[in-house]
Amino acid sequence: MSDQWPTAEIDRIARLRVLAALTPGAVVVEAVLPHRFDQVWGVAADLERELPQCLTDVRTFTITREDGERLSVDARGYFGLRAHFDVVLRPGWCVMRSRFLLGGMAAEPAAEQTRFAFLGGFRFPGLRPAAPLLRRLGKPAIAHVVSRYGQRVDVRVGAE
Amino acid sequence: MMIDATLHAERDREVERLVRAAQRGDQLAMAELMGLLAPSVARWCGPIALQHGPDAAQESLIAILRGLPGLRDPSALFGWARAIAIREAVRIAKRERGRAGDPLGELPARGDPLLGVEIRDTLARLSPEHRAVLVLRDLEGLDEQTASRVLAVAPGTVKSRLARARAGFRKAWQR
Repeated sequence: MSDQWPTAEIDRIARLRVLAALTPGAVVVEAVLPHRFDQVWGVAADLERELPQCLTDVRTFTITREDGERLSVDARGYFGLRAHFDVVLRPGWCVMRSRFLLGGMAAEPAAEQTRFAFLGGFRFPGLRPAAPLLRRLGKPAIAHVVSRYGQRVDVRVGAE
Repeated sequence: MMIDATLHAERDREVERLVRAAQRGDQLAMAELMGLLAPSVARWCGPIALQHGPDAAQESLIAILRGLPGLRDPSALFGWARAIAIREAVRIAKRERGRAGDPLGELPARGDPLLGVEIRDTLARLSPEHRAVLVLRDLEGLDEQTASRVLAVAPGTVKSRLARARAGFRKAWQR
């Protein structure tokens, strides 16, 4: 009978929120996208093509090494900024970490729609006192990223 | 047998590596640890926090990963995490019980044919502390001493709570 006891499932979006809670100033924004999980994740997982479309600061995001679900990525911005990212990418889950930045995406099917969330934050030491301010400033930027992903899914699904 | 032991040793080494990396603030390691801990946290929090289980599980994972720098022995991870999760689940169940007034008003109908719903219904008639002792002794199979350490109460209290919890469970189940 013990296998019938209630369990408290922690879905991927809740796990992304946990990661944000552990990172001072990190923000998670979630939206329900009117497309199937495979259509949404098809866009989200296409990091090289779609991430620069959705993050306005990123010019290129190039995978330099792939070892199963672990990737190494070279990111370049518009003002000559470069960063190396270690990435874990699996269905419905992606975490991207550079020396100073943390990013993440999670998705969960919700009937014929998909809950999609994006996490963004800094990894500088000593940020904790500024965390509330960073969260307030970061929220509109991350909401914009989520909205861009929604638009990209619309475009890709429309082109299918 | 030999293969089992090798796999266990490999898993232990992987857990130790992840704990050490997460203690240094590596969020990729934290995310991996979360994946390892989540099924257990779900099992510990569900029967205690019931409909607030997902909140309790989320709060537990935050408390566990925040507290990680204080864990000296990585091999003790699961036992240490269990104590935190049980405490969080009891705290949230008590807080929500206080907010909601009579929790029985929100319960599903007794006639539901699903056994899982019946168990949830029956558990909801017990206090969060009694649900915690049932989880530790009957679901996790801990002995009285270990359960008393997890709950930070005397072994005699565990014994009396367990007797009352089992009696309460039987009574509610037979209604």
